[in-house]
Amino acid sequence: MPIFQDNRELLQRLNWLRIFFVLVFICLFAQLWSLTVLDFDYYQNLAEQNRVRILPQIAPRGLIHDREGRVLVDNVYGFNLLLFRDELSDLDATLQFLMDGLDISEEVLRERLKAAGSYSIYQPVVIKENLSMEETAYLLARQSEHPEVEILKQPRRIYRYGSLAAHVAGYVGEISPAQLQEPVFRESKAGDIVGQFGVERTYNQTLTGRDGRRRVQVDSRGRILHDLEQIDPIRGEDLTLTLDLDLQATAENLLGENAGAVIAFDARSGEILVMASRPAFDPNQFAIRISKKEWDQLLENPDHPLQNRTVQNTFSPGSTFKIILALAGLERGIIDTETTVTCNGSVDLYGHRFHCWKEGGHGEVNLREAIQHSCNTYFYLLGQKLGLQEIAHFARQLGLGVPVGIDLLGEASGLVPSEEWKRQVRGEPWYPGETISLAIGQGPILVTPIQLARAVGIIATGRSPRLHLLKGDFQQGSTAGRELLSPAFAPENLQTIRDAMWSVVNEGGTGQGARLADYQVAGKTGTAQTISLSTREELSESELERLEDNAWFVGFAPRDNPEIVVAVIVQRGGSGGSSAAPIAREIFRLYHAKYKSRGPAGLEVASQAKQEKKL
Amino acid sequence: MKVWERGIFTQFDYALFMGALILALLGALGIYNASPQSGDYSFFLRHLLWISVGVGVCLFVMSIDYHFLADHALLFYTLLALLLIGILFFGTEINGSRSWLTFGGVSFQPSELAKLTVILLLAQYLGQLNENHLEYRHFLILASITLFPMILITIQGDLGTALMFLPILMGMVVVAGVKKQLLAGVLVVSLCVAPVSWFFLQDYQKQRILVTFDPGLDPQGIGYQSRQSQIAIGSGGLFGKGLGQGLQSQLGFVPEIHTDFIFAILAEEIGFVGSILILMLYLLILMRLIRIAETARDRVGILISTGVASLIFFHVAINVGMTLGIVPPIGIPLPLLSYGGSATVTVFAALGLALNVYQRRFVYY
Repeated sequence: MPIFQDNRELLQRLNWLRIFFVLVFICLFAQLWSLTVLDFDYYQNLAEQNRVRILPQIAPRGLIHDREGRVLVDNVYGFNLLLFRDELSDLDATLQFLMDGLDISEEVLRERLKAAGSYSIYQPVVIKENLSMEETAYLLARQSEHPEVEILKQPRRIYRYGSLAAHVAGYVGEISPAQLQEPVFRESKAGDIVGQFGVERTYNQTLTGRDGRRRVQVDSRGRILHDLEQIDPIRGEDLTLTLDLDLQATAENLLGENAGAVIAFDARSGEILVMASRPAFDPNQFAIRISKKEWDQLLENPDHPLQNRTVQNTFSPGSTFKIILALAGLERGIIDTETTVTCNGSVDLYGHRFHCWKEGGHGEVNLREAIQHSCNTYFYLLGQKLGLQEIAHFARQLGLGVPVGIDLLGEASGLVPSEEWKRQVRGEPWYPGETISLAIGQGPILVTPIQLARAVGIIATGRSPRLHLLKGDFQQGSTAGRELLSPAFAPENLQTIRDAMWSVVNEGGTGQGARLADYQVAGKTGTAQTISLSTREELSESELERLEDNAWFVGFAPRDNPEIVVAVIVQRGGSGGSSAAPIAREIFRLYHAKYKSRGPAGLEVASQAKQEKKL
Repeated sequence: MKVWERGIFTQFDYALFMGALILALLGALGIYNASPQSGDYSFFLRHLLWISVGVGVCLFVMSIDYHFLADHALLFYTLLALLLIGILFFGTEINGSRSWLTFGGVSFQPSELAKLTVILLLAQYLGQLNENHLEYRHFLILASITLFPMILITIQGDLGTALMFLPILMGMVVVAGVKKQLLAGVLVVSLCVAPVSWFFLQDYQKQRILVTFDPGLDPQGIGYQSRQSQIAIGSGGLFGKGLGQGLQSQLGFVPEIHTDFIFAILAEEIGFVGSILILMLYLLILMRLIRIAETARDRVGILISTGVASLIFFHVAINVGMTLGIVPPIGIPLPLLSYGGSATVTVFAALGLALNVYQRRFVYY
């Protein structure tokens, strides 16, 4: 370091630097003054024009077709009223303005604003869908006073045939805060309309398109000056279902006012042709954001119209269970086709008298006759020999007790009892007498119609096709039951049961109601008690009528190389032969009339289908 | 020479330090206001973290005698130069410039730190010369010291940062003393080189310069940025729209709101009065830095402080001038206010150098 430094000149020059700094800062001050004060009006005006609005461009969902290309679920555009909360100056004034001109209550308005509390402030709230002409005129005339509202054309769901196939199609609704946390909805945001039920829900990701947006510059009155950015929405992918709407409509019409369900599928491919559940609901009610009141009404309806009875409800299988018992008996070698039982109308077992449905009894019956006439006594004795464990084993082999894995959510598992189950749930041991009731499908055995239909399908073909609603690349609706059943039953045993089932319909058995002249229908009826016999005796005639039994018919056709499997349950429908079998017959009849000229139901040509478009 | 000394805070320039800290916190406020639309406060939190790191670095740099730092300036300079060369091969590219070092999720720009090593080396060289009128050969060495990192940074694709080395050199050379003919010569050469360099500029860089002279050119394109920032500032008026109410910035009209255009978002919200207060804080810092230079013990101290003052002054003048629309848009941050770890830490370290000089202004025998 130098010993002496003369830094006086440097200090002088530092002073220049100081002056230079101050002069430059004065320039900055001047420009700042010029912008913010002198030209304030000019810039404020420009800033006013700089308001932007992001107009959501909702992507229409994909369409849903039936197997013949008929549109079951479509979109329509309607005018919706949107509120931009970031431009809201006086909430009460705005609400008053809306109530004056729109058919909407303050309660609903507040409900909607509250629901929108979780969205970004810049995301508009849909106040009312599908505005009427009068409402639109009212809003347009006053828009300059209320720049915070905007009318926008947006798509919404329309279910072309109302309640037809409502449980399959499902419905859509605004995503709930809980759903936003679910991984399947990770691409959705608050306020989005998503599938909530049916295939709308299962295939939501496929059906959902990509929303676009339009960023526009608006003036202080909300008028659009020009577009800044336009991203077009992309419609979701279409779905083609395996349903046949002609068959579906027939099934639903025949069920009519009865509560019940019909399921039919192609025995070879597992494609569901009919999935009918009554009573139904109109999914169009949900397409416009449903109010809490309407929702509660549907939920509290004692007939539970929102439940898909084919997969969500469980029932006692009643006498239809006898075919499962018969297969178990044959497979285990306890009986053969020649084994006979003499039915005297009742049998005493374990200190209890078990009745056959026919007073006086069926006399001496072999297996075929026992199935044909649904003789209880035969199966009481067979059940006693098989025991609970074997019965449960074969029930599970035929797919009972686990969901079938259809591509719908919320499938019930049903119930196949066991000794452990009885101990755990009821806290009692399994009584031998219960096995006797179980043998005729009563007691603690519960099935969904789709489970029972699949069991019949396995008996009909010896194979277990994966049941599904989507043509082509379907996905599993439920993780349970994902393992495909691989039944391994002796073909001659299956043939014995098939023949017996054919005689049920065609040789004066209980299922004559399903008989067709030109189509070999095989089936089994069932009448499941909804209350126990002892309770029944305490009830009056009128009460009995109200609590009539559930009527079942399960079957397939034709007897050789089966094409279609049908299961019908009519709740409080009396006996299976009288109310369920005729419905099944109509399904078989229509299926045969429609498909006899074609190959397997999965292979028909689309042009042929179009010609037969009638409903 | 003692590297560590007692009584660090007995000779501490509180005005300078507090002024800088207030500005940094105002910057954090601006960044916070720029965030709520997305609800993502990570920029704000990270900026607060960088400020604390900066303060720590500032105090650390202050505590080591600047003579020690100046004596090792060549070492620091060489290390940084090697780092800059290394980045050309191993750096991370962010926003089109390959000037980032990334480790453990933290990105850092050594080009910012290079400014400090250049200040130190220039001060050390000029201090040794003890010469009031620099000769051409001296100037050639000074220019080489400055141009070497500039060229490396330009290759990295960050012309804005590279250009900021020139005013540092000019400020220090002018204060150190230079023959009038030499100064005139450099100006003449610069004026001749400028039109030639035009051909080396990228198209977008040319556009930016043209737009400053004629904002009507392409109002939706490049001029858009500076025009939107002027609208934001102008519409703020005398008192501003209030904190968090800056619609222009929040609705995405002002670009790069938390980095290069942070002044615009603050000006829109706090108006002329608030903006003047911010500029006055910068002026306070600059006046303190010149004062520190004036009271420095020796030539090296004078020149270090001058270099720091030049660094901060030109960044502020060019960045604010850009947001006000009187300087072409150059992508440089506003010291202390802008989001950015490297820049924030570098400015605090630079202030640490000045505090260092101030603290050791008396000669003890």
